[in-house]
Amino acid sequence: MPMSRLPETQRRAIVRTAVTLAVIAFALFVFTLWRGVR
Amino acid sequence: MATAHHDEHPAGLMRWLTTTNHKDIGTLYLVFALTMLFVGGTMALVIRAELFQPGLQIVQPQFFNQMTTLHALVMIFGAVMPAFTGFANWQIPLMIGAPDMALPRLNNWSFWLLPFAFTLLLSSLFVPGGGPAGGWTLYPPLSVQGSMGTDFTILAIHMMGISSVLGAINVIATILNMRAPGMTMLKMPLFVWTWLITAFLLLAVMPVLAGAVTMLLTDRHFGTHFFDAAGGGDPVMFQHVFWFFGHPEVYILILPAFGIASQIIPTFARKPLFGYESMVYATASIAFLSFIVWAHHMFTVGMPLAGELFFMYATMMIAVPTGVKVFNWTATMWKGSMSFETPMLFAIAFVMLFTIGGFSGLMLAIVPADFQYHDTYFVVAHFHYVLVSGAVFAILAGAYYWLPKWTGHMYNETLGKWHFWLSVIGFNLTFFPQHFLGLAGMPRRIPDYALQFTEFNQWSSVGAFLFGFSQLLFVAVVVQAVRGGKKAESKAWEGAEGLEWTVPSPAPYHTFATPPRIK
Repeated sequence: MPMSRLPETQRRAIVRTAVTLAVIAFALFVFTLWRGVR
Repeated sequence: MATAHHDEHPAGLMRWLTTTNHKDIGTLYLVFALTMLFVGGTMALVIRAELFQPGLQIVQPQFFNQMTTLHALVMIFGAVMPAFTGFANWQIPLMIGAPDMALPRLNNWSFWLLPFAFTLLLSSLFVPGGGPAGGWTLYPPLSVQGSMGTDFTILAIHMMGISSVLGAINVIATILNMRAPGMTMLKMPLFVWTWLITAFLLLAVMPVLAGAVTMLLTDRHFGTHFFDAAGGGDPVMFQHVFWFFGHPEVYILILPAFGIASQIIPTFARKPLFGYESMVYATASIAFLSFIVWAHHMFTVGMPLAGELFFMYATMMIAVPTGVKVFNWTATMWKGSMSFETPMLFAIAFVMLFTIGGFSGLMLAIVPADFQYHDTYFVVAHFHYVLVSGAVFAILAGAYYWLPKWTGHMYNETLGKWHFWLSVIGFNLTFFPQHFLGLAGMPRRIPDYALQFTEFNQWSSVGAFLFGFSQLLFVAVVVQAVRGGKKAESKAWEGAEGLEWTVPSPAPYHTFATPPRIK
C-alpha cells in the first residue's frame, strides 16, 4: 500500500529545498573549477 | 498509535532494487557498510601481516601501497559514511515522526550508486598497473602519474560524491519539511541535529572534492596543468583544495557518532542529556571551525608563519566545543542510575577512546611538534583513535541500541559483551603502540621498517587480527537477532525516550502515516 500523498504545500516546500540545495552544490563544484583555472 | 495500515511490499530482489521505503534503504546502506567493513578490514590485515616483521614478506611494495590507499577509501566512503547514512534513513523519519524521507526515489538512487562505485573502485586492482597507490589523498604528481586504476578511482569518487550530495539533500529536506507538528528544531533528538549539520557539511565539501578530482582527470588526459609545476600549475594547490574537503570530511565521519552517543548515554544513565542546547551549539561550532583549519594537514609543506599560527590556533579552538560535548556526556552519567548493556559499553568506550584521539590531535596541531610527527605512525594512531574507536565504535553502539527496533528481537547480550571486550582489547593493542612507533620516527605508508620498530609492530599486528576477527562476532549477533530471539518490546530499553520507541518492534513497514503530535 503506497503512502498517502503529502499536502501540496509540503510537497512544494520539499522541492524548493531540494532544488536550492542542488543549485548550491553545483555552484560549489563550478566555483572550485573556476578557482583552479584562475 | 500512529503506525500505518499495511506492511505490504514487493518480495524478493525487486523489493530491494525498487524500494523507496526509508527502512529498506536504511537496511541496504547498513548491509553495504558491513560488507565494505570486511573488505577494507581484509586490506588492513594484509598491511598488518606485511608489517609483522621487517623486510618484505608477503606482498610487493606497489601492492602494499594499493592496500593502504584502498583501505582508506573503502573504510571512509564505503563503510563509515554509508553506515551513518543507514542510521539516518532508519532513524530520522522515526525520530521526527515523518512517514518517510522527503525524496524517496532519490533515496533509492543515492544508495544504488554505491555498489557500482565500489565495484569500479575495487576492480581497479585488476587493471594493468593495479589500483591507486598514491594514498587516499590522491596527491599529485603521484596521482597524475598513476595507472588506469587512478581513473577508475576518480570516476568512483564522482559517483560516491553524487550519492553523498543527494543523500545530504534528502536529509536536509526531510528534517526541515517533514517534522511532526510540535517538533520544533530544539525538540529534535541530538542524532537528528548532528545529521542535519553533517548534511550541510557534505553539501559544502563533496562538490569541492569533485572539482579537485575533475582537475586531476583533465591533468591526466586532457592536457591541462592545474597541478603540474612544469606546465605552470601548482601541486600544492591540490593539497589546499583536497584538505578544504578533507577536514570537514573528518567531522562528517564523527558528528553523527556524537549524535548516537548522545542518544545512548542518557538511555542507560536514565537521565536526560545534560546540556542539550549546548550540545547543539557545540556541534554547529565544530562544523564552522572545520572549514578554517584545513592547512594543519600541510604544516610541513611550507606556508607563511602567520598562516601556520592561524591554522594552529584555529585547530586548537576545536577542543573547546568538543570538550563541551565530552563534559556533557560525563555529566549525563554523573549520579545516573547506570547499567552497562553492550550499546552503553561501546558508547562509554567511544567517549574515552575518542578523547585520546582528540588529545593526540591537539599535539599534532602544534606546528613545531607537527614537524616531528608529520607522516609518522603517530598520525596513523591519532586518526584511528578518532575514526575506529570514535566513528566505528559509535556505529556499533548504535547498531546494538537500535537492533531490537529494527529486527523485533533482543540481541544476544553475552555475545555482544564478548564482541565489545575483544574489540576494545584488539583495538588498543593495534593502535596504542603506533603512538610510540610514530614518536620514535617510523614513517607511515611503508612496507618495510628499521629493526628497532619490530616489537611494537608485532603487538600491533596481533591486535589487528584480534580486532578484525572479533568483528565476526558482531555478524553472528546480527544474524541471530534477525532470525529470532527474545521478543523486543516497543520501548526496548527502560530509559529510552523518543518517538521511535512509541512504534512496535520491529518497526512496521510504514510508520507515522498520521503524524504524531508533540507536546
